[in-house]
Amino acid sequence: MRRLYASLRSVAESLLAAVVGFVVAGIILKAWGYSPISAYISLFKASFTDLYGFSGALANATPLILTALTFAMATRAGLFNIGAEGQMYLGALAAVAASLFKLPAGLHLIVALVFAALAGVLWALIPAVLRATRGVSEVISTIMFNWISRYLAFWLVANVLVDPYRAEKTITVLPTSRFPTLIRGTDLSYALFLALAAAAVIYFLLWHTVTGYEMRAAGENPFAARYGGVKSGKVIILVFLLGGITAGLAGATQSLGRPPTYAVYSGLPQILNLGFDGIGVAMIGRNHPLGIIFAAIFYGGLQSGARVMQLFAKIPLEMVRVVQGVIVLALALPELLRIFRLFRRRKLLEAKREGE
Amino acid sequence: MPEPLLRAEGIVKVYADGTVALKGVDFEVRPGEIQGLLGENGAGKTTLTKIMSGLLHPTAGRIFIGGEPVRLRSPRDALERGIGMVHQHFALVDTFTSLENIALGTGLPLGPSLRHSVTELMERTGLKVPLDTPVENLAVGERQRVEILKVLSRKVKVLILDEPTSVLTPVETDELFGFLRRLKEERVGIVFITHKLREVMEITDRITVLRRGEVVGEVETRKTSAEELARMMVGEEIRIRGRRPVELRTELGEEARREAARARGKPVLVVEGLRVKGDGGDEAVKGVSFEIYPGEIFGIAGVEGNGQTELVEAICGLRGGTGSVLLKGREVLGLSPLELYRLGLAHIPEDRWKYGLILSFTVAENSILGRQRSPDFLGSLSILRWGRVFSHARELIRRFSIQAPGLEAPAKSLSGGNQQKLIVGRELSKEPEVVVAAQPTRGLDIGAAEYIRDILLEMRDGGKAILLVSADLDEVLALSDRVAFMYEGTFTAVTTPSEVDREKAGLYMGGVKA
Repeated sequence: MRRLYASLRSVAESLLAAVVGFVVAGIILKAWGYSPISAYISLFKASFTDLYGFSGALANATPLILTALTFAMATRAGLFNIGAEGQMYLGALAAVAASLFKLPAGLHLIVALVFAALAGVLWALIPAVLRATRGVSEVISTIMFNWISRYLAFWLVANVLVDPYRAEKTITVLPTSRFPTLIRGTDLSYALFLALAAAAVIYFLLWHTVTGYEMRAAGENPFAARYGGVKSGKVIILVFLLGGITAGLAGATQSLGRPPTYAVYSGLPQILNLGFDGIGVAMIGRNHPLGIIFAAIFYGGLQSGARVMQLFAKIPLEMVRVVQGVIVLALALPELLRIFRLFRRRKLLEAKREGE
Repeated sequence: MPEPLLRAEGIVKVYADGTVALKGVDFEVRPGEIQGLLGENGAGKTTLTKIMSGLLHPTAGRIFIGGEPVRLRSPRDALERGIGMVHQHFALVDTFTSLENIALGTGLPLGPSLRHSVTELMERTGLKVPLDTPVENLAVGERQRVEILKVLSRKVKVLILDEPTSVLTPVETDELFGFLRRLKEERVGIVFITHKLREVMEITDRITVLRRGEVVGEVETRKTSAEELARMMVGEEIRIRGRRPVELRTELGEEARREAARARGKPVLVVEGLRVKGDGGDEAVKGVSFEIYPGEIFGIAGVEGNGQTELVEAICGLRGGTGSVLLKGREVLGLSPLELYRLGLAHIPEDRWKYGLILSFTVAENSILGRQRSPDFLGSLSILRWGRVFSHARELIRRFSIQAPGLEAPAKSLSGGNQQKLIVGRELSKEPEVVVAAQPTRGLDIGAAEYIRDILLEMRDGGKAILLVSADLDEVLALSDRVAFMYEGTFTAVTTPSEVDREKAGLYMGGVKA
């Protein structure tokens, strides 16, 4: 009962934050002479009322759910894993690499997904091991690894996986390893179910297994966790390992499941920032798998609605970005405050000594 | 008699949680005198000095500076009025040099004039530090000097030192004393806070003794003795009557009971030559040895900060150490808390909020902390069986009459007493043979404290070996079968409660060896 009450409160807080965000963004629009009403109508109509628009929102949401899970799991365990971005690049390319050989349909997709997950894990484990054994800040190392991954990905696209006939992209993924399209004529594929399943698995892990219990304990109070026999090194490795899997899969959903390209272009235009956007989604979704699903759909809707706003409400792209930014910020605020309080508390506990 | 520099009159302090820290305290600081402020933990020393240095506001009472009533708004305000305090924990930027820290702390511009005035100050007072060395490369004693210079650079008339010697080596302490004497000649009034009897006798001119928020004595140092101070500090009355221990003792006779306990078997916990480092890298526990038999409470009394925390953490697997800790004959020093639990050790930690509970976790979740991997709660695939966890939590709530809004209420929604009952209940559910209880009743109301003490006695009667560490002398004396006094990392005495009167206890706690 209390847990239900607590979640209802979170939902109410988020709704209030959304209202505040929309009002503030509306004031900004008004101040520059645009009509917020028609802007919002065009936004929502496009993304959430027709099937085509909504499937676009869902397609956008698919990778975001997965990268948000990477961040959320780590945050629950008291770590800041900013590395989903870089892990996701390599996941996308590893999935493409599976098309270097032929396999029967279905099996080929599974193999490609395993490749993607392994690539994500490989990239996540190095910062995790550094943190667990040497105490290297995971924030710094994951950010640095994002850059290494980015240029590694550029190089892989241009030199290793390059399409022999078209130098600006990788080879095209073979049909046997693609996610089937869910709704014909849209770019929504069955990859959505992979993302939803991942969210369900991680929800179960966090709240119904002893591993999740220990992860959350380490995040909420590392001292009490140690007292309770939780090994922090183990938690770090596990969180990064699982995060690497979801981030790698996020990349795969784009290279294997986003019509019409089924390839990664040079400069990574289709996948750039999906990892960073996932952080925003995780914050909006309160770092909770269920919240993340809704947050990702909302975020995906904002993204596809942006084009429509530009088109129909005649609002320039820059202003659309401002509006998006304000709304996302407002929605992320409650969780930001929670995390801020959590870390201040931890600092206090660290500083606490006898005396006083 | 000269006009006091600083006078506090009828100071009352009630904290937001209802704790009364000071109950109408008068205190004054005179020029050219060192005023000692002596008391146990929780006597109100720190609260009083925080009020005098502007860090806290009194609930009632007035403060006069040079005869004028003032209201100190902040530490900076107090500093501008000539009152400076050096805290136990330094506020220095490690990578800055001494001079840069002085500039930062005083708000004086960094430049030749500051360097000149600080150099002059160092010459005059003999308080020398290398000005251009980063603070991180300085010894603790030198860092303290930087703190003192920071305050003196503002030309203070009153210097408050909170437990200044607790971090110093004996040589550094002597140097500090030499410097304080010189400062006295400059007509500065000094407040020296401590619980160490030897030091207060050596350096002060007058001594105010606080106990439970009240002034219980104000004496001239040359007219008093360590014995008298000890008596004042710990009080004459025995506060905890502890119905059960007293009854039990009269029934059976303490000696007889102890013999019976020993006859029951070998000691379950044997600590030998245990040395433990503190957070600062200094040795906090300097070779402590004792053993505990089944069915006995071994108490460790002493003012907090004399190594008890580190001792407990080392025994319970939260801190490394050297020496030997044998649990049922097996060397366990360096094992993890989980391994220790499996070998039969339970730990009621000193800091409920840091180690004992995860405040944002629910009561049910907290009820299995440390036992989360026990087969009682674990299904296949490491799935937690919430049904079993809930019934376990429900059982704890019933058995230990824990008042909780529900099993899924966060632990922070419980009162301090109920939080502690939850911890105690959880630790007992581990069915341990050795229980380490650190400050088990601190901060609890009388009812809850009595309840916890009853449980400790019940456990003892059930044949468990209990290590009780408490800064509450009455508690240790009332509950323990044998008691040790800890001072600066060693035991000053190991004896039975009946052989200790309060004067002796005060002396042992103040560093006088048996």
